[in-house]
Amino acid sequence: MTSLALPIAARIPSGLRRVAWAGIVIGLVAAWLALPPLTIRSFVPSLVLALIAVTLGAGVAMRGERRFGGFAIAAGVFGFTLAYLATQSSLGKLESVVVWSALFAATLRYATPLVFAALGGMFSERSGVVNIGLEGMMLMGAFFGILGADKLDSWWLGLIVAIVAGGVAALVHAFFSIHLSADQIVSGTAINFLAVGLTGYLFIDIYGTEGTPTDVQGIPNVNLGFLDGVSFIGPIFGQLNLMIWIAIVLVPLTWVVMFKTPIGLRIRSCGEHPRAADTVGINVYLVRYGAVVTSGMLAAAGGAYLSIGFINSFNENMTAGRGFIALAALIFGNWRPYGLAAACLLFGFSSALAQRLPEYSQSASVLFQALPYVLTLIAVAGVIGRSIPPAAVGRPYRKQ
Amino acid sequence: MAERSVVLEMRGITKRFPGIVANDDIGFDLREGEVHALLGENGAGKSTLMNILYGLYHPDEGEILIEGRPVRLGSPSAAIDAGVGMVHQHFMLIPVMTVAENIVLAQEPRTGGVLLDISEAERRVQEISDRYGLAVDPRARIDQITVGQQQRVEILKALYREADILVLDEPTAVLTPQEAKELFEVVRSLTERGKSIVFISHKLNEVLEIADRITVLRRGKLIETLSADGASEEGLARLMVGRDVLLRVAKTPAHPAEPLLVVEDLRVVDDRGIEKVRGVSFTVREGEILGIAGIDGNGQTELIDAMTGLRQSAMGSVRVSGVDVTARDVQGHFEAGLGHVPEDRQRRGLVLEFSIAENLAIHDFRSPPDSRFGWLYPRRLLERAARLIREFDVRGGGPQTRAGGLSGGNQQKVVLAREIDRDPRVLIAAQPTRGLDVGAIEFVHRRIVEERDEGRGVLLVSLELEEILSLSDRILVMYEGEIAGEFPPSASEEEIGIAMTGGGRRTEAA
Amino acid sequence: MNEIAKPSAPGGGDPSGLGPEVRQSFVERYAIAQRTEGILAPVLTTVLAFFVGGLVVLVTTGKNPLTTYRAIFEGAGWSWFFEIGNHRIGLPWSDASVWFPWNVNDVESLAAVNFQQTLIATTTLILTGLAVAFAFRCGMFNIGGQGQYFSGAIFAVWIGSSFEGMNPLLHILLAVVVAALAGAALAGIAGLLKATVGAHEVITTIMLNWIVIWTGSFLFSVGGPLQNDTQESVPFSNDVVEGAKLPILWGDPLLQGLHIGLFVAVGALVTYWVLLNRTTLGYGVKAVGFNPDAARYGGINVARNYFLAMAISGTFAGLAGAIDILGWQFRLSTGDMLNSQVGFIGIAVALLGRNTAVGVFFSALLFGSLVTGTSTRNLDPEIFQPELASNLTLLIQGLVVLFVGADIVILWLLRRARRGVLA
Repeated sequence: MTSLALPIAARIPSGLRRVAWAGIVIGLVAAWLALPPLTIRSFVPSLVLALIAVTLGAGVAMRGERRFGGFAIAAGVFGFTLAYLATQSSLGKLESVVVWSALFAATLRYATPLVFAALGGMFSERSGVVNIGLEGMMLMGAFFGILGADKLDSWWLGLIVAIVAGGVAALVHAFFSIHLSADQIVSGTAINFLAVGLTGYLFIDIYGTEGTPTDVQGIPNVNLGFLDGVSFIGPIFGQLNLMIWIAIVLVPLTWVVMFKTPIGLRIRSCGEHPRAADTVGINVYLVRYGAVVTSGMLAAAGGAYLSIGFINSFNENMTAGRGFIALAALIFGNWRPYGLAAACLLFGFSSALAQRLPEYSQSASVLFQALPYVLTLIAVAGVIGRSIPPAAVGRPYRKQ
Repeated sequence: MAERSVVLEMRGITKRFPGIVANDDIGFDLREGEVHALLGENGAGKSTLMNILYGLYHPDEGEILIEGRPVRLGSPSAAIDAGVGMVHQHFMLIPVMTVAENIVLAQEPRTGGVLLDISEAERRVQEISDRYGLAVDPRARIDQITVGQQQRVEILKALYREADILVLDEPTAVLTPQEAKELFEVVRSLTERGKSIVFISHKLNEVLEIADRITVLRRGKLIETLSADGASEEGLARLMVGRDVLLRVAKTPAHPAEPLLVVEDLRVVDDRGIEKVRGVSFTVREGEILGIAGIDGNGQTELIDAMTGLRQSAMGSVRVSGVDVTARDVQGHFEAGLGHVPEDRQRRGLVLEFSIAENLAIHDFRSPPDSRFGWLYPRRLLERAARLIREFDVRGGGPQTRAGGLSGGNQQKVVLAREIDRDPRVLIAAQPTRGLDVGAIEFVHRRIVEERDEGRGVLLVSLELEEILSLSDRILVMYEGEIAGEFPPSASEEEIGIAMTGGGRRTEAA
Repeated sequence: MNEIAKPSAPGGGDPSGLGPEVRQSFVERYAIAQRTEGILAPVLTTVLAFFVGGLVVLVTTGKNPLTTYRAIFEGAGWSWFFEIGNHRIGLPWSDASVWFPWNVNDVESLAAVNFQQTLIATTTLILTGLAVAFAFRCGMFNIGGQGQYFSGAIFAVWIGSSFEGMNPLLHILLAVVVAALAGAALAGIAGLLKATVGAHEVITTIMLNWIVIWTGSFLFSVGGPLQNDTQESVPFSNDVVEGAKLPILWGDPLLQGLHIGLFVAVGALVTYWVLLNRTTLGYGVKAVGFNPDAARYGGINVARNYFLAMAISGTFAGLAGAIDILGWQFRLSTGDMLNSQVGFIGIAVALLGRNTAVGVFFSALLFGSLVTGTSTRNLDPEIFQPELASNLTLLIQGLVVLFVGADIVILWLLRRARRGVLA
């Protein structure tokens, strides 16, 4: 089979990647065939397409593009599995679970906090500081966001309070990691503990057993009236929360900042070779401090979206590992904004699917909650090619 | 020669570190358009002094005057503003970025004040490169250009920032003799344009060739500043070390016998899939020291990795005393009679947090008498350590002392002791004297010759041509993964230098 | 490229004639530092953490932190420990009794009951602490203690509630061994991933945690495969049968008396020490932990050590899960899975205890006291709200981890102080 793939791959000019992308698309189409609206009840066409995808992927991988080849293989396998499961379940259930527009809208909602946190993580890691504490900073943002919105009676003040809280937590992490050269992972873990403890403590102290009030002013949705009648796009984009739009804008914006501005060049130099940056006069400490605090603020913004834009309440430890999923998205996306955004969408999709599955099977849905974490595990296990982090990430920089 | 004006003066510079005085009341001055060499052995304080000049260290006492005005050089930015540029021994370049990005970093041209103007950066780099005759491709990534070119980028970095005082820290350490000659021409052309150069080195012949004046440091103190006219290698060596130094190790001629290590058509691929060793074959015999010379990065590291089992070779074989060890793991190689003194004693040779005794046991801890069925006997480790500390005169601690608390020379003694005590048939020594002072270097060289005299084979891989010439009975040169030539120890540096760059005749290596 | 350039001083080219006096005092000073600061730093860290915690209490509730800490102290039963008198203790397997400084016979004593619970909590934390500590010794951060604990607990509760009528010793042994292996397997996955593809164990273990938690929730949820056979609407497992419960050492079994698990924990401490200091496995693990490059160049199989260290680490955690189930919990619920923190506290225990056996013991005792003393059952709500107090514990724990991560501060302060005294 692979010998078949090689001549195919060889004939397509310039770009193993293009072949790989074709494989990925074919794999996804294989899944789509069995799902609404086509809902083909035989898994054979899907099987054929999936095999093509796997073949293309294998061919590409063997010729050096392991990463994308792996993606194509994964798409083929995944596509067929999904198609098979779909053909085995009842039409009614299928149609109630797989409502594409609702799924996509939910995907955007679930992905947004991840995007904020992952972008934050990108700044921190690109400057050379590992930020395991994204989870804790997100949680701080979630709690202080709703606290601020409640006590100050305004969502944007709440957002500001959240961002400040995240920045302060990040400042602590920065101080210990940069100034005191503490182990960055231990320091980040400490922030996570502290965040859980602090937010839990204050939550019970201030709100007691009733929980956060239900009438807190939330971050508003952006109403795109002109999309009201449009069939597919309308339900997805017509009523998205402001934060989601901000996230969508942030992705290209951070790309520009990181790769097209002097500050981005300096941040990256601190992450690749801090001594070199130091010798041309860049203040490595300052840049790293700035990057880490930025990461805290962004993660906290994502957390605030969770509490006052999405779920509209706060519960102890509500981030439930999202900060770590964001970290995985960062690695998956090779520390680049578009890559990590794609990864966040993938993880968001799995959460969206998990949310709709109770319609399908009560107990299986609990199991399905584990899917984002399984995906993350696979991603980080580097089964799909190894990513290359900034060269000096994780090592404290000491001036003499 | 007319008296040129003094552009830089350092007075009474003192810098202390825990346990040592790196610079002790040193005075140094630099005249316009001159090349002033700073000479001294490893640890004499040359780099410290210049790091102070570049704002990386702060002196405990003393002052610095540039163009007659006192300056406070609190950081590299301050030094750059004052017109000081530094070309470091270990390049301060970011491998994944381009030449232009590296050069303009921290002084980037912008469009609209916010965005990075890369095309302008590339244009400016091209312009300086043309002006000073230092050819580079602004768009190339640093990890894809040669070391010589990287050094040019380092120099351009300083020139881009309009440095008038250039400090070159051991610049020829990574160059072939030919590239060094090119560098000297660049230096001369720079001085003709009024730049003043501080040339740090420990290589006597180079210093005599390029410098106008020479300042000798020893153990943190200024010994003498003299003119290069009339100075001699022996005289400088005596100033550097404080006593007469044997510049070559005394050794009796070799009588090589049986082949001990036979490498045949070895091919090794690195982590990125690039073939770094392309069909290398050679033999090391009993009682012979085979030296492998070459510029760093021509496959020596991968060759050693493959010979010691740290990396799987793609093709070819390695035999020790007739036994094929090619497929074995690292421990298997050790058991076959190979000894390996790795090139970085602190990262690869020793576990610094372990005691001397534990480090000495690292090859043998899994078998009796150190352990039985997995149960460790610490007392045996201590006994062995006590014995070897005595034999090899390791100073600075006892068997339980943490290896990290020893000086570099003593650490290297521990590594040597560990390898030699196992009585290997072949000893592979990679950069065995890097970073060591003269006393330690003498010790290591003596031991290596002793091993040879006792009938073992020694493979010496070193980037220091002098060391290779001084110790080897036969010399091979590696260039781009192949053996580019074989030479006797009487060969000239010229000849070997040519082979190191790939030119010249190729001889069949035995 | 090594960006931490060392000055051309100690460790570099040391001129041989520098003078033995200077060399000696550097080495000497380091040795002193290693010995005394070995105990001083953790103590200082703890004091600092409690101090900051006390500030939080003061600022947020206006209550006196000292009375709060005292209430926690009593809630943990330490008042019993400090009431030394003339009592007697019965010898095992006989009717005789000997003099014993503490009163183990009064089963009504609240302080005694509290202290039993502290020791129960300590048992668990010793084991989860050892799990994290062992991995640290090999240079890895095992945050997966929680998941490994639960994989052990799940198997223990399953085996413990099945096979009714089996010989108790065999039953317990079976449950414990399988649980330990389950923990080892889970951690081993992370170790294997690190050994083969170099996946960072922090993320893989965290992901495995969540996977286990959700899988467990699924297993015990209403309608799930391991859900209670008799009560169909609660998300609990079956109860462990009488024959598989651990014998009680001290106290009333109905009031959660102290079980023999404590001995297992102490045994684990000894095993830990022996493994690291008297076996070739320990040598390899430590070498890889300190310097994987040098270990590799020396002939040690680094990948194998990563895997083994994680597997052993997981064994300790799985063991903890089994002991808790068979010793006092006797059943598992989905709520337990989502609320437990023992794996994470184990991290603080290991860090504070500097990854040594003795350190882990005292550290576990400290945190065990904190957890027990702040629990709803034990803390006097008049003095401090228990829900708040448990979060206070988390805070203190976080502070400990933070300060330990930067123990440079403490060491620096100590060195300053010493220089002031000696110079």
